[in-house]
Amino acid sequence: MAGCTLTGALSVSSFIKNAVTVIHAPFGCAHQVFSMLHAMINDSELTLAPQIIVSNLSDRDVIFGGEECLAKALDKAALKNPDLIILVTSCVPETIGDDCQAVVNEHPARQKIIYIPTSGFLGGCAKDGENACLIGLAKLAPHALPAEKTVALVGEKNLETEVEENYAEVKRLLDRLGVTVTTRFCRNSSVDDLKKISSVSCFILRDERCAAAGKFLSEKFDRPVVSEFPRGLAGCIDFLKSVGSACGISQNLIDEAVFDEEKYQALALAKFEKLRDKKIYLGAEPFDGTFEIAREAIKKLGMEESMDGAEIKLPFYLPVGVSGTVKMLNLWKRAIVYG
Amino acid sequence: MDSCIENPVSPCAMTGACAVLCGFDGLCVIIHGSSGCYYYPKSLLKVPMFSTYLLESEIIFGTVDRLHEVVKEVSKTGKPIAVLNTCIPALTGEDLRSAFSDENVIFVDAPGFLGSTQAGAKKAYEALNIKVDENRCGVNIDGVSLLDLFWRGNLYEAERILNKMQIPISVRFAKDSYANLQRGASPFTVSVNPSADSGVGKKLGSLLFPDLKNTVIRLSEKFEADAESVLNECHLADEQMFYSSDKFLRKYNAPNAAVFASDAYSDFSKAMLERYFGAEVTTFPRSKSYDLTKIKEVLDSSEFDLVLGSTFEANVSQSSAFFGITPPDRSRVSISARALSGVEGGIYFIESVLNAMIDFKKN
Repeated sequence: MAGCTLTGALSVSSFIKNAVTVIHAPFGCAHQVFSMLHAMINDSELTLAPQIIVSNLSDRDVIFGGEECLAKALDKAALKNPDLIILVTSCVPETIGDDCQAVVNEHPARQKIIYIPTSGFLGGCAKDGENACLIGLAKLAPHALPAEKTVALVGEKNLETEVEENYAEVKRLLDRLGVTVTTRFCRNSSVDDLKKISSVSCFILRDERCAAAGKFLSEKFDRPVVSEFPRGLAGCIDFLKSVGSACGISQNLIDEAVFDEEKYQALALAKFEKLRDKKIYLGAEPFDGTFEIAREAIKKLGMEESMDGAEIKLPFYLPVGVSGTVKMLNLWKRAIVYG
Repeated sequence: MDSCIENPVSPCAMTGACAVLCGFDGLCVIIHGSSGCYYYPKSLLKVPMFSTYLLESEIIFGTVDRLHEVVKEVSKTGKPIAVLNTCIPALTGEDLRSAFSDENVIFVDAPGFLGSTQAGAKKAYEALNIKVDENRCGVNIDGVSLLDLFWRGNLYEAERILNKMQIPISVRFAKDSYANLQRGASPFTVSVNPSADSGVGKKLGSLLFPDLKNTVIRLSEKFEADAESVLNECHLADEQMFYSSDKFLRKYNAPNAAVFASDAYSDFSKAMLERYFGAEVTTFPRSKSYDLTKIKEVLDSSEFDLVLGSTFEANVSQSSAFFGITPPDRSRVSISARALSGVEGGIYFIESVLNAMIDFKKN
């Protein structure tokens, strides 16, 4: 239930400054994605407006071929003089056999165009589109030496409502180690920013969803990869240790960061003392791994998991760090104390 | 339509067809396509529907078996089924009807590339093969579309007006039970939004406020119904709206408005804004205005101080008052049943326009 490759690819490409995405597809496919991006941008109060041009394949074009439509769409994109044109495709041109690469090769702006043959659902699901786009963009970066204590965040979920809150949580933890995020690959970054991805000490993936892109980056630039944002409370401690080690931070500094973080977590949990000794029923697990985070909180707060406990709704995402756990506990408090 | 579009603001034909089919309770809708084709109408319409979730391998080896499997499974509900075809199975040219021999299955070939939501809705209505029963008394309510921001409010308001006139309601297009649809429609129809009409029955008029009086009079003549109380409501509403707009116009200038909406809502908005504000109104019907970059150019080139449309227009016209009448409207949380049709719809429209303009002037 997350759309085809177009959704995934556009959730990456639309967040690059001065880049235009061309979708070779009927207009409805582009509208689906544009509408979704627009909703997310509205919710997150972003000012970045995606620039999406669709070749608008019609019932006539699916019979006679859509390459002419694609060339016109690329012309229109080039007129905007962007730094980059990202061409992605829906399932329709794949089925009717358009040779998109040939159209790109003959186009005057070909040096600026990267062609990512996503092929709608024929290329897989949204995750595959996201990885294809991340990998396509990673190929733009030249090799460079790693700068100390710098990281790149890879595959932030631009369609998540709480994407900036999650970023803030990760940044909070990285600050403890004195590590800086120099590239958000790809969120509100320029093409030049993206090319700097090769100069970081380590790549931090949003989660296993972008593992394919992480593997590609790691192999291409020979850098360590941290596999996901911190899950729940214990995840923060593991995250500090993993990033610290990957960035070559001294053990003393890592230990100090862990000590401070444990104190911070204790203070955050103190606000939920009203939940102590309460019985709780978790119901079904909405997202793989959510139970683990919920049970960690249950244990730390001295709660009891029981069939006759108050039934709560678990979040439909993995709570990131302390901030995510606190938001989950707020929902529990509402249900158990005030429900 | 142009050969290429930037940031398209309208959904595809398949979504339009889906909105019609899903409006009939008891009809199971199966989208024969990929998860992406299912995901969008599902998230937009928020009603139950099924999908064959086609994969690449099924496109290569044929989708009939997969469709048959899903139809067989869904048919266990004992409910009639509508299979809605999407772009790729429409292109591969399979004989999909062979996947179901049961007469309880309707096949709707409305791939996205056919064009607009209206084109898709037309295909769905054709496939439903709606019969008119000359003996069925009452009137149909037309123009109810799940894609319309005001569909629930419009329907309730139409029902209220018809109940007040003691005219029975036959079929609501498209929000009724499938069983009722199968009984056949009445020969007469009124519409809450003529841009979303099924075209079934002889049209007695629209219930949008500028047309309401004439429609009510035609209804009263056709059904020998008492029109007086509804006409009184219209008269009172008219006075109320003039009172409020007069107060606004004592303090502020008449607005220069741009309307981005369906043809019917565009005409309605223009008539209302001209009547109550003496406004300058330019309409941009969705059927001709679907490229957000061009919409932005239009809005940048003129000094509109009021924009009616969707949040797409709102976001590119930050220097105007805004009232959302076209989906999507993400300018606010709106979960209640708001009408744009009928007496209350007329009042709600003027009230919302006034509030939008006053809030904007204050800020």
